[in-house]
Amino acid sequence: MPAGGGWAAMFPDEVWEHVFSFLAADGDRNAVSLVCRGWYHIERRSRRRIFVGNCYAIAPTVAVRRFPNVRVVSIKGKPHFADFNLVPSDWGGHADAWVAAMAEGWPLLEELHLKRMVVTDECLELLARSFKNFRVLALSFCEGVSTAGLAAIAANCRNLRELDLQETVVEENCVHWLSHFPESSTSLVNLSIASLEEDVNIAVLEHLVSRCTNLKTLKLNYAVPLDRLVNLLCRAPQLANLGTGRFTAEYRPELFSKLESAFASCKSMKSLSGICEAVPEYLPAIYPICDGLTSLNLCDAPVNGASLTKLVSRCKNLQRLWVMDVIEDDGLAAVASSCKLLQELRVFPCDPYGADPVSLTEHGLVTVSTGCPMLQSVLYFCRQMTNDALFAVARSSPNLTCFRLCIIDPHTPDYVTLEPLDAGFSAIVESCKDLRRLSVSGLLTNNVFRSIGASADCLEMLSIAFAGDSDAGLHYILSGCKSLRKLEIRDCPFGDKALLANAAKLETMRSLWMSSCFVSLGACRLLAQKMPLLNVEVMDEKKRGGSWDSQPDDCLVEKLYVYRTVAGQRSDTPPCVWTV
Amino acid sequence: MRECRLRPISTPPLALPIFVLWRYPRTIAKHQLRERVLSPRSPSPVFVLEGGRSGGGESSSGSMSTVSKGPAVAVEAEEAEEDAVEKDYVGLSEESCSCYPDGKGDDGGAEDEDEEELELGLSLGAKKVTGGGGKQGGAPWREYCRILTAEDFPSMVSRAPPLSSSSSVSSSATLVRGGTTGGAASRRVAVSGSPDAGGSTNPPPSTQMVVGWPPIRAYRMNNIINQSKDNTSSNAIVTMTPKETNESSKNITKEVIAKELEKKGGLAGNSLFVKVNMDGDPIGRKVDLNAHWSYETLAAALEAMFDKPTSALGASICGSRTSKLDDGSPEFSLTYEDKDGDWMLVGDVPWGMFLSTVKRLRIMRTSDTNGGLAPRLHSSKSSGGLRNVP
Repeated sequence: MPAGGGWAAMFPDEVWEHVFSFLAADGDRNAVSLVCRGWYHIERRSRRRIFVGNCYAIAPTVAVRRFPNVRVVSIKGKPHFADFNLVPSDWGGHADAWVAAMAEGWPLLEELHLKRMVVTDECLELLARSFKNFRVLALSFCEGVSTAGLAAIAANCRNLRELDLQETVVEENCVHWLSHFPESSTSLVNLSIASLEEDVNIAVLEHLVSRCTNLKTLKLNYAVPLDRLVNLLCRAPQLANLGTGRFTAEYRPELFSKLESAFASCKSMKSLSGICEAVPEYLPAIYPICDGLTSLNLCDAPVNGASLTKLVSRCKNLQRLWVMDVIEDDGLAAVASSCKLLQELRVFPCDPYGADPVSLTEHGLVTVSTGCPMLQSVLYFCRQMTNDALFAVARSSPNLTCFRLCIIDPHTPDYVTLEPLDAGFSAIVESCKDLRRLSVSGLLTNNVFRSIGASADCLEMLSIAFAGDSDAGLHYILSGCKSLRKLEIRDCPFGDKALLANAAKLETMRSLWMSSCFVSLGACRLLAQKMPLLNVEVMDEKKRGGSWDSQPDDCLVEKLYVYRTVAGQRSDTPPCVWTV
Repeated sequence: MRECRLRPISTPPLALPIFVLWRYPRTIAKHQLRERVLSPRSPSPVFVLEGGRSGGGESSSGSMSTVSKGPAVAVEAEEAEEDAVEKDYVGLSEESCSCYPDGKGDDGGAEDEDEEELELGLSLGAKKVTGGGGKQGGAPWREYCRILTAEDFPSMVSRAPPLSSSSSVSSSATLVRGGTTGGAASRRVAVSGSPDAGGSTNPPPSTQMVVGWPPIRAYRMNNIINQSKDNTSSNAIVTMTPKETNESSKNITKEVIAKELEKKGGLAGNSLFVKVNMDGDPIGRKVDLNAHWSYETLAAALEAMFDKPTSALGASICGSRTSKLDDGSPEFSLTYEDKDGDWMLVGDVPWGMFLSTVKRLRIMRTSDTNGGLAPRLHSSKSSGGLRNVP
């Protein structure tokens, strides 16, 4: 190798670009860009996809300038706890600045993925106007759009392939937005409008579905009734991913048989969701596709356990199952014996505050863990748990990458021994070496955090609620957990000491959220002072227009969000948020 | 600071260590502590602030010590802690009622924002008061307090199933039956079972709900709550007792009766979240209508939420009765969309009827509403409930 870095010039840039094109992972490309200046420039010019985990970590203009040829961009905004109303609604996460910068600098942009951001109709209109090759718009968990914005996208994006509004709140503003897809538009591959609350013009939808012969994914909203679903399925038998609208109607034999044959004609169906408010009488219509299903989402179907069990037992190739806890332990036992390829299980509570608890216990989880050797990802809501059950899970599923257990009542101990669940969760982190995401619940002391800090080397995201005894708990986490990127904590007795002692760790993480803990404003001030590359945001929804500067150091901070950034303080903080 | 005096409650004969277990550790920002919290051993109730949390002390060190001895307290089930917790429960709903400017309308602003925190339906027994239009003054809130005092507990316990009255008692009664401390924990009995759970679903007594817990997406929570609402309103009519309503002789629609029932503490605890949009603000908010019992409180809450000093919504709704702001002519008007899709001015129909027909709210600039909206009385029919009131 020639000395002095001149070896980058051994080959023309195009050769290096070709080499780099085999590097898909962002981490690898980032590493490449650090090697030498030549590679830095070659890499940045050839980067086609970027992922921005925190929209405030970098200024949009800077990102656009550094990577001028990006085609696919993915940006995330609000912290995860915004899903549970913990983040003030006007906190931020506005997409405007990004879209404006992208419109300037990336005219050839093809795909935009936004998560938990505030998108406006103006953004969408600008999008539709600025990018000639725009193909994919995916807004998940966003808000602020209305159907008028969707109309603009439909009308102007000639080659739109995907319009995915997963869980995005869409206001009603333009009733006939679907009609804005021009007659000539046949490029749709994915139309996911399940979160739309208002009616859509089903006739227009049917016509759209008919002419888009490449449509693979269709997720309807609640407004589409069962009988119209039949028509849509008949027009699109090539569908691979279907989200039905409401799955309830008076039982009519002819509707049932039409529905059944419509499903039977969908030979490529791999994924099924929606099934809102299903009635047991119509569930058997799904049986024809059960064999081919790899993903089944029954979160909106609080049908009785027996019907669910019958349905799920037929899905021998299921890899992902999302279901409500009405399936009960018996249903999960059926899952364990039928769905041997299961990789992901999510069990949601049908009635979290209910007086009649369903019979879903820790046994269900253990059965699935034992019966499904490929289980990797678990999200489980239940009311009781034991350490033994967690030991069993740890033993049977050492390949878990994501384990999220939510025991509905905070501070619930092992109901048999009345001990904390420390031992159980410790077993999980010690056994599951590849664990990347963990949420803990139940009665937990600092011991569990000692284990997590020591053993969870691959852990990237940790969620803690109502746990721990003292600051030491937080200290264990922040001083251990080598790969930790996101930490979110609520209602734990963690305070200043651990935070300040591990300030440097925070720069290696994407973000830290702490709410209802014992962090004082003084500590935040100190942290912000020590670490200039962190934004320390404190929030208090009562503070509208009051001055933060005058608050004494010892006043407790209700909500704290710390994230690393190279963009400095953001300029769009609402009154209830203060960047210290 | 608003004062809300309660008659001290004697400790009911219910074991309540569970509550303590559940309620620990709660933290409050210190400045809030200063304003509100009284020591747990004092005879006055502890007010709960955001999201149903309460603190035990007046200083941060005080709360630290409370926290650290929390589990011990739970195990010991100290009488005083029970007292405090019991008052926490009481205080919890007190919070709901104390927020509301009972006609005096002084500094409702800050306190009303607490209401906004209590999104997940911190709408406890505090619904008994208003029978009709809900435009009443200060006296009503005292009845709220009274509902949750000890005298009421036995009677509430006795008629706990199926029409459990408000919150704490029925749930504590359930707990007593439930037995063990840790496992059962504090059953928050609010929303009754899923639609297919059959006709025996209990109409939900309300409960304390912590904001954002369990961690389920907010819209899904509303779906769950609203789906079961359809069942409970039809169940409630069956179990209504004459003394629960003042107007049993009237010929009111089923829906309204169910709503009245809620107000009288029968079904309190359901959340009725509706979207609120304000002209000029791209971000819509949501407000829990069941957390209010009159137009004034709703208006005050909305003002606090949108924080536009010139709005003076209260004035526009309540005519001559002014809200805390002194503006003369209101710049904005509060309107709502009813089941038929018509936009009406808020404030013309009785509160119960409003609740049963409202789909969403919009704060319009007054210039837009001139001559546009003729308020009309709409006889609402129960249309099977709203599938998804976001």
